[in-house]
Amino acid sequence: MAETTPPDPRWCTYFFLFDGSKVKEEGDLTRTGICYFYPEETALEHQEVLCSQLAGVCRCVSELSRSAARLVRLRKLKFAIRMRDDFLWALGCAVELPDVSVCSFLDKLIGLFGFYNGPPRLSYQIDPLLLLKAALILQACHRCPLVLAGCILYRGRVVSTQMPPELTAKVLVHECETHSQYFFKGSNFKDLGPLTDGLASSSGLPSSGRVTSTPVFLTPSEVRDLRHPPVDRPHRSTCPPLQSNRSKPRLLSRTLSDTPAPDTDDHCGPGASNQTVPCSMRSSFSYEACVSSGASPAPGGSPLFSPDYLAEEKGGLSNGLQEEQKEEELVEATSRCSVSSKEGTQVGLETNDFGEKVEEEEEDGSSRGGAERMRQEPMDSERPQDDWREAKEERPVVEMALYRHRVRGLVLALLVEPQFHNDATALEEVYHSSLASLNGLEAHLRNPAPGLASAQGGPYIFAHYDCLQNTLATNLPASSPPGGSGSPHSAPFIKATSLLHAHFCQAPTLQEIIVRNAGSAVYGTRSVAQETYFLQQGTTVRNSGVPNPQDSAFTLPAKARHKLLKHGVNLF
Amino acid sequence: MKCVLIASENAEVLFYWADLDFEQSIREQYGALQEEGVKPMAFEDSINTLFAPIIISCSTMIDRICDNYTSFSTENNHVYVLQQFEECLYIGVCGDGEENEEDLKRKIYVLKKLIEIHYGMVTLSSSLLRKELRPHDRDQRNHLWRKFQSLLGTYSHLKEQDQSFLVEAVERLIHPTLCEQCIEFLERRLVQQINSSTERAGEEVLHAFILVHTKLLAFYSSRNASTLTSSDLLALILMVQNQFPSNSDLEDMSPEDIENNSAPDVFYTPEPSPTSKDSGPSGAEQDYTPVFQFVDPDIQMAEDSLQTLEVPPPDPSMPSRVFLEVTSKDGFCPMMPHSMYCLTLWPGITLVLLTKVPNSQLATSVYFFLDSFSQLERRLNEVQDGTSVSRSQHSLHDLRNKLDKFIRALSSSDIQLQNAWAEFKSKVFSRSGPGVSRELLPCCKNMKTCLCGVYRHYFLVETTRSSQRLSSSLQERAQQSVQEKLLDWKDFLLVKSKRNITMEFPGLIHFMYVDRTAGQMIAPSINVTDRSTSELGKGPLAHFVKNKVWSFVEMARRYLQKGYTTVTLRDGDYYLCYFLWFENETGYKLEVLDPPTLRDYSAPIGMLASDYYRKLLRYYSKSHNAEVVKCYELLSVHLGVIPTEYILQHCCQLARKLWEPSRIPLLPTYDFSLCRSKAVGRPYKEGASRVNCRGPHFTRESHLSQ
Repeated sequence: MAETTPPDPRWCTYFFLFDGSKVKEEGDLTRTGICYFYPEETALEHQEVLCSQLAGVCRCVSELSRSAARLVRLRKLKFAIRMRDDFLWALGCAVELPDVSVCSFLDKLIGLFGFYNGPPRLSYQIDPLLLLKAALILQACHRCPLVLAGCILYRGRVVSTQMPPELTAKVLVHECETHSQYFFKGSNFKDLGPLTDGLASSSGLPSSGRVTSTPVFLTPSEVRDLRHPPVDRPHRSTCPPLQSNRSKPRLLSRTLSDTPAPDTDDHCGPGASNQTVPCSMRSSFSYEACVSSGASPAPGGSPLFSPDYLAEEKGGLSNGLQEEQKEEELVEATSRCSVSSKEGTQVGLETNDFGEKVEEEEEDGSSRGGAERMRQEPMDSERPQDDWREAKEERPVVEMALYRHRVRGLVLALLVEPQFHNDATALEEVYHSSLASLNGLEAHLRNPAPGLASAQGGPYIFAHYDCLQNTLATNLPASSPPGGSGSPHSAPFIKATSLLHAHFCQAPTLQEIIVRNAGSAVYGTRSVAQETYFLQQGTTVRNSGVPNPQDSAFTLPAKARHKLLKHGVNLF
Repeated sequence: MKCVLIASENAEVLFYWADLDFEQSIREQYGALQEEGVKPMAFEDSINTLFAPIIISCSTMIDRICDNYTSFSTENNHVYVLQQFEECLYIGVCGDGEENEEDLKRKIYVLKKLIEIHYGMVTLSSSLLRKELRPHDRDQRNHLWRKFQSLLGTYSHLKEQDQSFLVEAVERLIHPTLCEQCIEFLERRLVQQINSSTERAGEEVLHAFILVHTKLLAFYSSRNASTLTSSDLLALILMVQNQFPSNSDLEDMSPEDIENNSAPDVFYTPEPSPTSKDSGPSGAEQDYTPVFQFVDPDIQMAEDSLQTLEVPPPDPSMPSRVFLEVTSKDGFCPMMPHSMYCLTLWPGITLVLLTKVPNSQLATSVYFFLDSFSQLERRLNEVQDGTSVSRSQHSLHDLRNKLDKFIRALSSSDIQLQNAWAEFKSKVFSRSGPGVSRELLPCCKNMKTCLCGVYRHYFLVETTRSSQRLSSSLQERAQQSVQEKLLDWKDFLLVKSKRNITMEFPGLIHFMYVDRTAGQMIAPSINVTDRSTSELGKGPLAHFVKNKVWSFVEMARRYLQKGYTTVTLRDGDYYLCYFLWFENETGYKLEVLDPPTLRDYSAPIGMLASDYYRKLLRYYSKSHNAEVVKCYELLSVHLGVIPTEYILQHCCQLARKLWEPSRIPLLPTYDFSLCRSKAVGRPYKEGASRVNCRGPHFTRESHLSQ
């Protein structure tokens, strides 16, 4: 009997990619079809059972229903599934997680193969003034025509962003990982200094700061959105073409105390940050998000936040201390296997394995290689449902670069044109114009504003999700482990919120819910753009459960309205 | 597009039910797989082939990772639910969005319950159950499967239309005076008469009840009878409804409905038995008659011959064999054989008699021995290899004495049991034998199979052969006497069953009140058609509210499953409340206890197929040893514009009013100002008056504590 792992409280117990095309004949070994399997220490036999059985039943179900399988539940865990041609992506996680969230996690995860990885942890529990300051820094950087968009992250959270949520998430994930190292293994982080410094100097970046640059790959729609933002977003599509600005360098620097001067030839208004971009993140909000929103992931605690699995494919390092290096290796590998890295050409997103596979398949005379299929946009939902077995058009990706400037826990991340690094003037300008402001902002962020007490010992717990701003505000204690039941006093809140959120997703006309048991009562309310959950601590008087107008549970809506005002949440 | 199937551990389909869409889809798929010129496979074979990979993967998962599938879903929202019961795998599929995982799981549990009620402890042996469910003879198999297909269809229909099957509690017809008269009549003029008659052929009436559609008018149990559980009673009502489908379905149907239901004749074969569907002109029921699409002349032939070879319709006076839970002085038996006589008084009104059959005590003994061997198996599985179980020696000697006596009393017949027992004894009790060790496990299994075989022989095989029953004339007399008694009430009852209670309560749209201890519910009717007007008005609005109620019941269960006993929600223009609470016998509210949080795959919350509430009461009673604990639920739908305080006050008052059901038919008009002044206090009328009001149709109140 294979070794059985006990159900993992985390939201990623297993994650694998299985290529069914390699296991078709009787004699084919299942292991040849396993492209990737997390956790890698899983016994191969066990990997094979999971991959082959899930692939088998998914195929059977898909044939019966003429539609790809999406979710497979077992007693102890459940799998979100994506079937794309012969490939099967599966994310196994704890059964308690809402289905909508799990499926959306998987989609994100797949999306990260095209960039690098991770889910968003968007949180704005920061003094609004600092948000403004961060936005100013971004605006300043944005004046450089080679900078497409930027975001400022602090300890794994977004302070301000100009990118759409999906992109922010992709940038953020890496920062979460790096930050958690920094946070938990501060001394080790210094070891990365030479690496990043070396990189910085070799690419002409100022060597004094922690500045790195990584090639990243954007889908055409992402690039289009950055260059030509949607109408409802303050955009700079009217910005003159690249060359026209070159001759007219401006002072990009602004200090935190600067006020934005009216700038007639700059169309980036103060709203240039991406806070008002509508997005479809609603379904991805889960109690997981609540748990982790306040916390940085423990090392290894949340495997999806780690790029390990990308590196593992190359049999690379499993020690999490050298993420940066791995990252670089990965990128190199990716670049190597791609035909050409010039902007606009098709670039393989895959690691070497996929590159090799292209060749194999081509030798076989197969018209559509595995790698090409892999390159398809995985989250394409416009596709008609009937043709789940039909081939889809492949989409090219565009190479850009991710410039990162780190000041302790604070990171300025900018998506830049690849030629940015060859442009010494632009580099200098961006670097120097932001350095002072970043230092100042970091200092402010390090000393959080008083008055935003966490739920630890607080009289209530709340979570407020805004799907327009794509923000989650909560006072849940930061110590809750991801996917775990949380600290004893937040567990009832998390359990109820998870159920209520799933209910809201399922019932479009539902506006508010109160649920109550002997020990706790939780209130949930939602509007078109927001979901809010509220639990009052320690006030639940034990009653019989019979209808009783005096029951304190029914005063929750009023209390929530009142208490959340000071968090900037208006439920009136 | 729906399907339910049962597969054996050898991936053989033991039963299936599929709707037309599903059959068509499978046929198309199978057409694609099949070579040209080859005769198309029978539907049951293609379904077997297509599901085989799933069935086999289930056992692989259990073997290899000690886990099993519970459900699948696809991008086009098809849902598959899987449930393993012993060696049988049940799979439910829905591809039209009408059922979700919970619904499918419930349907699977109901199917299991229906099989248990028909086969009793034979279900404990997978090999014997296989024989029963999948007879070799194709005609017999078709006939049997159609019976269960029809029952499943009736269940689905009731669950969608009938509030009592929605919440799985028996709905009473609220008329205390008539109810009391009927009970008295059933006792003195019916049950006593029959039980003292010479024509009863050794049977004894234990329970007698009168149903008006699905609602219970009166229920009488004789002094010797064990209590009928809510689960069994609901299942019996389901069977009666299947046998005599309510005309009400037709009355309720709009003309379009009827048109929609009259599909081309070619798709239907007439029911072989005139006792079933043909008598029910219900269009809705036809949805569930098995469907055959003739794609090939050979099959046409086969089906035609099936028609001609069909056994003559069964004698209408022939009772059904049902297996019901019994707790008596002789012990507990979860599946005690009974005969059920359904006597139609008028369309929609039925008298049901449940009789004790001769030799039924044998079932208690068989259960005792089965239980003993199961316990022994459990102990053997616990011990290390090679070591013997000494501590069980005493109970083994006891078992030996009892079983020796039992086999002697059977006097002859069952050679298999005798041989199996001889082998068992030689292994355990002889010096040369291996003693009590793991080697005994196959013997235990064999003994259990043989015991089930004895049970099957006495209570399934024999009954179908013999003409054991209350004489026809006795049945006729019983029928006539009750008809006479109710003649003047007949029309009243049929109307009453449509408008059970009236409700005038500003802002209150609907409510349901369930006494989970008694397994009974009270609710205003919801009629969604143009013809009959209910409290909700008619047509689309009623339909809308009905859908709200149905989905809210499901949501409330979901929260209860996760441990929440109060749920209120604002949904569109409505405000919905759900409460569950406990009281002692005098109506004193007991402190709420968090119900255990259940897994998603746990048995559905309800009373028909898995008695969640009985377990909940047992769980709760642990902390209230001395008291009788009662469990109630209240569900309400209000207009959302009503302030929440008033809504909660309404609920509070409803709970109090409904507690005294004598007042229900005259539920007073409520006034907001009054509501406020009549605060929360509870002026109870204690004790006797309540018992009389609540339970006049049950002779005893003790049946609650099991």
